[in-house]
Amino acid sequence: MPYNARLIETLSMLMIITSVAAVESHNLRRAAAAYALQALLICGLILAFAVGNSALYVWALVALITKAILTPWFILRYVAKTGEQEVPATIGFGLSVAVASVLLVSFYKLTHSYVHVLAPTPESVAGVFRTNLAVGLTVFVLGLYAILSRRDAIKTVIGLCLLENAVHLSLVSLAPNMRETALIGIATEVVVTVYLLLYVIAGIREKVGTTDTYELAELHW
Amino acid sequence: MQTLAPSNLTELIFLIPAAAGLLAWLMGRARRVWAEALALLGAAGALACAAAMLPRVLGGKILTGWGLELRVDSLSALLVLLISGVALPVTLFAIPYMRHRRLRDQQGEDVTDRRLPGFYGLYLLFLATMLWGCVTNNIIMLYVAVEATTIASGLLVAFYWDRRALEAGYKYLMLLTVGITFALFAAVLLYASATVYLPGVNAMLISELRGVAGLIPRSVAIFVVAFFIVGFGTKAGIAPFHPWLPDAHAEAPSPVSALLSGVMIKMAAYALARTVTIFYPSYPPLTMFVVVLGGFTMLLGGVMALAQDDLKRLLAYSSVSQMGYVMMGIGFGTYLGVYGGLFHLLNHAVAKALLFLSVGAVIYATSLRSMSQLGGLGRRMPVTAACFFVGAFAIAGLPPFSGFMSKLTIFLAGAQAGMWAAVGVAIFTSLLTLVVVIRAGQAVFWGNPKSADVSLETVREAPTSLWVAMVALAAVCVLLGVYPQVAYPLLNQATLSIAGLFGR
Repeated sequence: MPYNARLIETLSMLMIITSVAAVESHNLRRAAAAYALQALLICGLILAFAVGNSALYVWALVALITKAILTPWFILRYVAKTGEQEVPATIGFGLSVAVASVLLVSFYKLTHSYVHVLAPTPESVAGVFRTNLAVGLTVFVLGLYAILSRRDAIKTVIGLCLLENAVHLSLVSLAPNMRETALIGIATEVVVTVYLLLYVIAGIREKVGTTDTYELAELHW
Repeated sequence: MQTLAPSNLTELIFLIPAAAGLLAWLMGRARRVWAEALALLGAAGALACAAAMLPRVLGGKILTGWGLELRVDSLSALLVLLISGVALPVTLFAIPYMRHRRLRDQQGEDVTDRRLPGFYGLYLLFLATMLWGCVTNNIIMLYVAVEATTIASGLLVAFYWDRRALEAGYKYLMLLTVGITFALFAAVLLYASATVYLPGVNAMLISELRGVAGLIPRSVAIFVVAFFIVGFGTKAGIAPFHPWLPDAHAEAPSPVSALLSGVMIKMAAYALARTVTIFYPSYPPLTMFVVVLGGFTMLLGGVMALAQDDLKRLLAYSSVSQMGYVMMGIGFGTYLGVYGGLFHLLNHAVAKALLFLSVGAVIYATSLRSMSQLGGLGRRMPVTAACFFVGAFAIAGLPPFSGFMSKLTIFLAGAQAGMWAAVGVAIFTSLLTLVVVIRAGQAVFWGNPKSADVSLETVREAPTSLWVAMVALAAVCVLLGVYPQVAYPLLNQATLSIAGLFGR
């Protein structure tokens, strides 16, 4: 095996901790910092896989710029304008952490007992793939959970970023021999979407006076 | 026999509007009229490319560009012709329409001229990304293009920058990005599984993936299909992933609504057809699932449309409903079904763009869009009223307008496949649609205004520059209704490129 499996597994497990921190921290500045840390972990993961495909060095660089530098910077800039305290969430801290733990344990079980269900290639039954898939699914669902349960618009954007990181983690684990163009396209689009969302949220803040998504109820069915 | 032929048209068709968009944004700052001229040029250039492709594609050629990265077969040709063909009249309409509503900043200053270059820049970029999505042959780039349409149109949805528009813009960007991420996951799974059978880059090419779709492990294939349906289905307005659609289509400026409802969701349906149908031959029950999803979508959209008072929301829900027909047709998986689905995709694009422009003309004249406020406009705006009813009858499937032929084809295909329940739902929804659009037309164009804000004395017919575009689209609706053979050669080949996969 050309990859350093232990390193990859460690980095990928650390992604769960940063995800929970990003979702649970009620201070948006700290949440953004947790996200930036996770982005660095992703860069590390991509580099660990880059042993097998040099195109991944380019991707690691793009990920560093878009995920670890630009996205947190955009978020921090908006937080500076709108205040760093999150609009209180609908689900409390204790319950939320419990949800995250249950998710991880069940996905870990799922991917380790039924890996063939989602394994696209014979090699991908290996341990690294399983762990990354479990982590990817957990982070994905955590992101989705943040989008659905958090009232603060900026927090939903952080949730979206987590979701994207999860897919990118599966991407690099499943298809470590992808070409640069596709990778750059995928990576830049996320950061542009985040920028646009924050731009619109700033507009909402200006017109409605809050970033509480529950206040956005002008339009319903 | 179809042969591959390299052609620069495949890249020009999206590079022209993209370049025009960049120029419009840069040069429009000096003079607004440059931005408008470039918008027209960009749309016309795209249409010219699409028209130039047509004879070669009909002659059995498959045009390729950048190696095999770009690929235009008859299905792609149908879509690019449709997108650019609808975009040109819509752009013509947009120029006077967007000048009319004055935008003000917080100090109450008129900023319309300052904001319009940005509008046209994004508008053309939006057009370019839709066209790119229809010509790319790379599964990952297909995701990138679909997400790029969201990015380009996000600020167009929120363009009016008021509370409602911002809310719609936030939901639009958020829900679509989350939804489309599922499609990325599906594309990655599909690509990764295909690497076992296809060398290197080929595993990303949709034209190559077709051949190996049946070899992929069964459980993985199920996930791939499910995620593609969630991802591209969200973008196509398939229920239950449609909640963004009525908000975005209603709050966007009317020309943008016409593009969103007319062609953008069609491009997503194309992405769905391209990806999901490659699994049909190996997984026949899949067709049934698509039919059920289509039936549910059409019924839900029809019922919701009935409950609306806002004209644009009503049209948006009707789009959800009509996308159900497209899905159902493609779901039947037979030649007749796919033909009906694609024909309805074409008809609905033209008719819905026409309806959004007609409602735009009403908004232009009255600044209102609630049925409970409007009334009696038919006397003052006969051209707009006539265009609205042509579009309405086409959507409802009344002969001799275009929707009749395509809906009839779908009913027949359902009967031929023995899926009588689906045919029943489709016929019922068709009647429901008729009620919805006639009730709306009656409320707006007959009787008397129901609100003191409208005085019929001051209401005037939309200016010529607005209704030229509407009349052109209405003429297409009538033409496709009385002489549907005109679309046959292209639709036939496009249908074969899908249905030929499984020889039914």
